[in-house]
Amino acid sequence: MKNARRLFFRIGAVLVLVAVAACMMVIGRGHTVYIDNKTLEYEGETYKAYYRAVVYVDGKKVSTLAARERGMATNIGQSFTMTVGIVEEKGRDEVPHEITIKLPYNMDGVIINIPGYMAGLPQEAWMTEFVSAPSEAEMQEEAPTEEEDILAGAEF
Amino acid sequence: MKKENKVLGFLRDNTVPIMFIVICAVCIPISGFSASYLMNEIVTRMGRNIFLILALLIPIMSGMGLNFGMTLGAMAGEIALIFVSDWQIWGIPGVVLAMILSIPISIVLGAFCGKILNMAKGREMITSYIISFFMNGIYQLIVLYMMGSIIPIRHFSVKLPRGYGIRNTVSLLNMRQCLDNLLAVRVAGVKIPVLTFLIIALLCLFIVWFRRTKLGQDMRAVGQDMNVARDAGINVERTRIISIVMSTVLAGFGMVIYLQNMGNIATYSSHSQIGMFCIAALLVGGASVDRASIGNVFLGVVLFHTMFIVAPKAGAQITGDSMIGEYFRVFVSYAVITLALVMYETKKRKHKSLMAQQLQQEQKEASAS
Amino acid sequence: MNETLDKTNLTLRDRLRGFVDSFGLPRLIIAAFLLMLYIAAPFVGAGFWMQISNTVNRFSWNAIMVLAMVPMIHSGCGLNFGLPLGIISGLLGATLSIELGFTGPTSFLMAILIATPFAVVLGMGYGWLLNKIKGGEMMIATYVGFSSVSFMCMMWLLLPYHSPTMVWGYAGKGLRTTISLEGFYDKVLASFLQINIGGLSIPTGTLLFFALLAFGMWAFLHTKTGTAMTAVGSNPTFAKAAGVNVDRMRMLSVVLSTWLAAIGILVYEQGFGFIQLYMAPFYMALPAVSAILIGGASVNKASIANVIIGTFLFQGIVTMTPTVMNNMIHMDMSEVIRVVASQGMILYALTRKTEATK
Repeated sequence: MKNARRLFFRIGAVLVLVAVAACMMVIGRGHTVYIDNKTLEYEGETYKAYYRAVVYVDGKKVSTLAARERGMATNIGQSFTMTVGIVEEKGRDEVPHEITIKLPYNMDGVIINIPGYMAGLPQEAWMTEFVSAPSEAEMQEEAPTEEEDILAGAEF
Repeated sequence: MKKENKVLGFLRDNTVPIMFIVICAVCIPISGFSASYLMNEIVTRMGRNIFLILALLIPIMSGMGLNFGMTLGAMAGEIALIFVSDWQIWGIPGVVLAMILSIPISIVLGAFCGKILNMAKGREMITSYIISFFMNGIYQLIVLYMMGSIIPIRHFSVKLPRGYGIRNTVSLLNMRQCLDNLLAVRVAGVKIPVLTFLIIALLCLFIVWFRRTKLGQDMRAVGQDMNVARDAGINVERTRIISIVMSTVLAGFGMVIYLQNMGNIATYSSHSQIGMFCIAALLVGGASVDRASIGNVFLGVVLFHTMFIVAPKAGAQITGDSMIGEYFRVFVSYAVITLALVMYETKKRKHKSLMAQQLQQEQKEASAS
Repeated sequence: MNETLDKTNLTLRDRLRGFVDSFGLPRLIIAAFLLMLYIAAPFVGAGFWMQISNTVNRFSWNAIMVLAMVPMIHSGCGLNFGLPLGIISGLLGATLSIELGFTGPTSFLMAILIATPFAVVLGMGYGWLLNKIKGGEMMIATYVGFSSVSFMCMMWLLLPYHSPTMVWGYAGKGLRTTISLEGFYDKVLASFLQINIGGLSIPTGTLLFFALLAFGMWAFLHTKTGTAMTAVGSNPTFAKAAGVNVDRMRMLSVVLSTWLAAIGILVYEQGFGFIQLYMAPFYMALPAVSAILIGGASVNKASIANVIIGTFLFQGIVTMTPTVMNNMIHMDMSEVIRVVASQGMILYALTRKTEATK
């Protein structure tokens, strides 16, 4: 009886941990979001870049994009919310638009084209995956050599 | 006369902490660091290391000495973090996930370590020390050859360009100090990582509570005398294995906390010295091989790290060579461990011969009457 | 006929089991692994004779340090994890000999002469300490080794050495991490009566030097003092009752071990061609410990044969695995294999129940 109860508690604890872990995997998935203010061509139509787009995330200004520029923000979780202040042409006022986007789980880097999004195009038009090319140094890296640095642990 | 004895006794029992206070007192003014800089550094390092050092307390309680095998827990934490950064889980969720992932790895490694230590009773320390080397070989086999080839690893920032194996350093930039920064408070220019300290306080409470549980009492009984404990119906082997498993799991958590503060994993060297430094810090706080308290941990971290911060600069000021200070602090770490081990062994021998004398005396009296 | 066959089969199996038990499974695996390497070597294009010469050469460099394990095992002090202390005496001898201006073969002789008093004094201190902490020798030995190495790291920087071949050029003080022995005692023993046949080269002089010391050790263990030392190791109470001064015997064994380690590092240097200072001696005890264990020794039993077999097997693995593994599976896993094999061997020896301290 006591053993059965103990087993029950153990299985319960493991299940809770697995559930928490699964939850963490969903809410903790990090994405790098690249925000493009670039002219987009889609199915023969052209969506022109804005004169300026100012990107705010969590009330903080992330970047100010002139035409053909790209900004970057990081986001944890699959739901990304930003406010883009759009200035369509020089001299006009900044018009804020709140944008909330569902980010695909398996994309590390996501490029979002603002003119395309604002025009209400389908998702595949304004969202593309960002594939970062490893830098030269990263490609060069070799496996560690046998020389073990005994003082390496001195950073404690 | 009696008072003098008391003072001498106090001095003798606390040789190591007093020595350290003297070293620090001499080195701090020479190094010329400002008080706020020192305070900042020490508080940061407290948050970073105390959890790891607390992991050492449980095996000491069960009489298994200084657990040099805590390196195994550190490896488990590192493996978990490698997975988490491969899956790109960031921030606090990443830290929590890494801790959960490290549990099964730690349990397996800890059980292995405990089993072997049960086969080597009486020389647990040297055996756990060699286990840490042995496991380092296995760790390399897994991380350098099996990850990416057998165990799926896909992210280029983690994997070596040759297609298998993990890079020398894995960046944890996206979870760097996320625990420390959440709820952080600034007091007179000193950043206090409140959340990390809360977690540490929780662990301290757990240890205090655990000492009073049935299992904790069993462990202390095993630590006092294995044979007596066995006669009392305690499963000695199992209790010892549990104590090592607990220590390993806690060390795994500690390593995750440590590495989220550092902000990157030195894949092949982060764990190698961690056991040694943690043990040295604990001993500096006045602990011995068979007795250690939470107070020892806190005092040890403060003193050891003060020495660690000021020694290179002070050494450079005195001799004009910064390497002297670096070597000095490494030397001091080793010397402290040596001293503590020697004191423990001599005490054990003295105790043994005292017991033998007592036994003789009793026998004599019994035969006389 | 059939019956006898059955019987021999049975005994054979029993004998095989007995053999495995006495020899130890890990040892058997390591020996089989090395055999496999030698068989595989010619097929993967690694020159067989070159491999043999490499192994023999490395054997000649390391054998004396492995031999240094013997006296302490005999006197019951366990495995000498404090080998670095002896190595430091050797390094002091080597650097002082060069500093005092000796060159060529004389410098080797002088290095041995200078190292000896250091080894004796340090060994006596070390032995005194180990006598105070009987039963906990191995752990403390490890940390005595570590502390002494890290202490000497400071000393190499601070001691007033001036010889331009040894100190950093730009600072004019502080010893370099590696010092070339060219013009001093590089290969003095190895080139003596060296045999070169095709790809095979045998450092006869070094082997002879080792043979001399090994024979000396063997002879010593058969003298009255030597047997007394063994008695102290196998049964201290009995030895004490027989009138042997246990502490003195243990002290002697520690001094001998430390001195052999000092000579061992000098011989290693003459083969290798460089003196390595600072952190280099740090982990040098571990290969020596695992070598003698692979050779069949245990925590309280060791013979000269264990030293020879063990060093050969260990160095064989060290030299063979990189080339053979690289050629076979294009992965250099030699480091991992070496660590796992040698540490596994030490673990195995430490966990033998029959050998546990009482």
